[in-house]
Amino acid sequence: MSEGLRDGLRKRIEKVRTLPSSPAVLKPLLELLRLEPEQINLKKVVELVSYDKTIAAQCLRIANSPLYGRARGTESIQAAIMTLGIQRVEDILLTCCLHKFSSGAKWATEPEVYWRHSLGCAAVCRELAERIDFRDPDKAYLAGLLHDLGILVNSLAYPIEYKDVVAQAREHGVPLAEEEMKDLGFTHAESGSILAATWQLPPAITEVIAFHHDVERAPADNPLVALVHIGDLLCRYRGLGYGYEEWRSVELATDPAWEQLTKYGPRLASMDLARFTMDLDAFLPKVQQLVESVFSTKVEHSTVEISR
Amino acid sequence: MAGEVLNATLSAKPAPAAKEREEAIDPVYLRIRDLVYQTCGIYHSDEKLYLLVAACKRRMTSGGVKATSAKEYLDALTSIAYKEAERRALLNEITIGETCLFRSMPQINALKNVLLPEMATERAKIGLKKLKVWSAGCSTGEEPYTLAMFLMEQQEALLKGWTFEIQATDLNDRSVETAKEGVYGDYAIRNTPDLYKRKYFVVGDGGKLKVKDEVKAKITFQRLNLNDDSRMLFMKGMDLIFCCNVLIYFDMTSKKRVVQHFFSNLMPNGCFFLGHAESLFQVNDQFRLVHLPGTTVYRKPDAGKASKP
Repeated sequence: MSEGLRDGLRKRIEKVRTLPSSPAVLKPLLELLRLEPEQINLKKVVELVSYDKTIAAQCLRIANSPLYGRARGTESIQAAIMTLGIQRVEDILLTCCLHKFSSGAKWATEPEVYWRHSLGCAAVCRELAERIDFRDPDKAYLAGLLHDLGILVNSLAYPIEYKDVVAQAREHGVPLAEEEMKDLGFTHAESGSILAATWQLPPAITEVIAFHHDVERAPADNPLVALVHIGDLLCRYRGLGYGYEEWRSVELATDPAWEQLTKYGPRLASMDLARFTMDLDAFLPKVQQLVESVFSTKVEHSTVEISR
Repeated sequence: MAGEVLNATLSAKPAPAAKEREEAIDPVYLRIRDLVYQTCGIYHSDEKLYLLVAACKRRMTSGGVKATSAKEYLDALTSIAYKEAERRALLNEITIGETCLFRSMPQINALKNVLLPEMATERAKIGLKKLKVWSAGCSTGEEPYTLAMFLMEQQEALLKGWTFEIQATDLNDRSVETAKEGVYGDYAIRNTPDLYKRKYFVVGDGGKLKVKDEVKAKITFQRLNLNDDSRMLFMKGMDLIFCCNVLIYFDMTSKKRVVQHFFSNLMPNGCFFLGHAESLFQVNDQFRLVHLPGTTVYRKPDAGKASKP
């Protein structure tokens, strides 16, 4: 990407950042959740979540969705957080914040598609991480959730141009990043990493955003990049992609990411990948339900009890 | 265009009925699922588990087996006296009603949009414009006719100037005879796009559709036992082999042998298609597992080339 383009993009991202729907809760929340687990003050988390009624309601809906399962029937924020555990709460809150952040804006792509892909990738990454004994499945979820932040950026910063990019990619069945490179001169990986830096997301996550389409350039000590790369591909080939089919074939076993990941996921080498792929189809309806719950606009006051 | 129809089918949204299916499945069925996967390699993901449950229940109410609960049925599937017969009966239930024309659209779409264009480019370099296809376990002909019609349609575009031949084989000679007739009722053609119905069928007795002779001419039907090593040796030079929901009836040893034959019979870069819930895990590790939109295919490596990263 040329310097001029980059500067232009950066300016537009600044504009995106100051949109009224910018998530005020995000920064303190991330800071709070980044503490060691035993130092996290549950009351404070509940307080922050309850600060915003829409977010609180959405948090409950997501906690009660089949993808999270465990907290079925939970009606209070406190109970939801207790049941799910802090790490899950972080995922859910980020989902809510991102949604809130983006809901007031004009989208170049259908927001539902973006969310289906992001939430689907998050779920698939965590599932993959668990199956291969990757040490940190919850980080995998978060990385999967945020990996395509740049699509959001492009969508908000270049609403008109990006609409064309998406339409072209869809028409020709090519990967989105490829079309972006061709039409814009940069990909969502680059624009996403600029926003990630602005938001001061953890370095490991920022690297996932920046390199998930270019694993070989990623820092060697961050296996999350390879994991998300694989999870992302599986999603795109299994109905949880960018809303269209990419007419390509991929062989994961010869992908550089696969080899990198085997060092961190001891069970990957002996995994039944075909069977795992079939299992992923079960995520489709669950993710769909979750997306619908995120997009459900009405706040169910009767079921939302804000703990104090 | 036919392509539009095909793509539209593929992008259909998941069924909303998932919620009902989730309710209270006896955990014993998870053990039955594993048993089925171990014995035949067909795997029911959580989403498809209800199909397995329904198949088991049909077996339990058919009177053929004495079982009133999932636990008792699992016992029947594992008891020394009955297990062979009952497992086979269950597999028949699982695959029942599976057959129709244009059953696996993701496979057809992958061929149309990825695999055939790739092959066309490769073959253009050596000037070999011929395709050999084998439908192994063709049952009553739905699969080979689908492929024949689809490839004929492609001959008008991507495969202009190409020829192809399809070998269709099945163990059951009654199935082979029915297949040769090529007459199908509403149920079998429920997935067939209108364009194909108009172009490649004539209306026969009782409103049933009969495959046109020009389509039949592309296919050679014959009885073949996949366990017959000497016959298997003669099925050489295949570009595409389809063997969907057939290997599930084989034990591991014969499955390995049959798949090895398929491997040898394929051309380099040739494609091997299985049923949507089947895998070659622990059966054969020479094939490359390749992902395509909504489906997977096993490909024979091209020995002359290093696999691309």
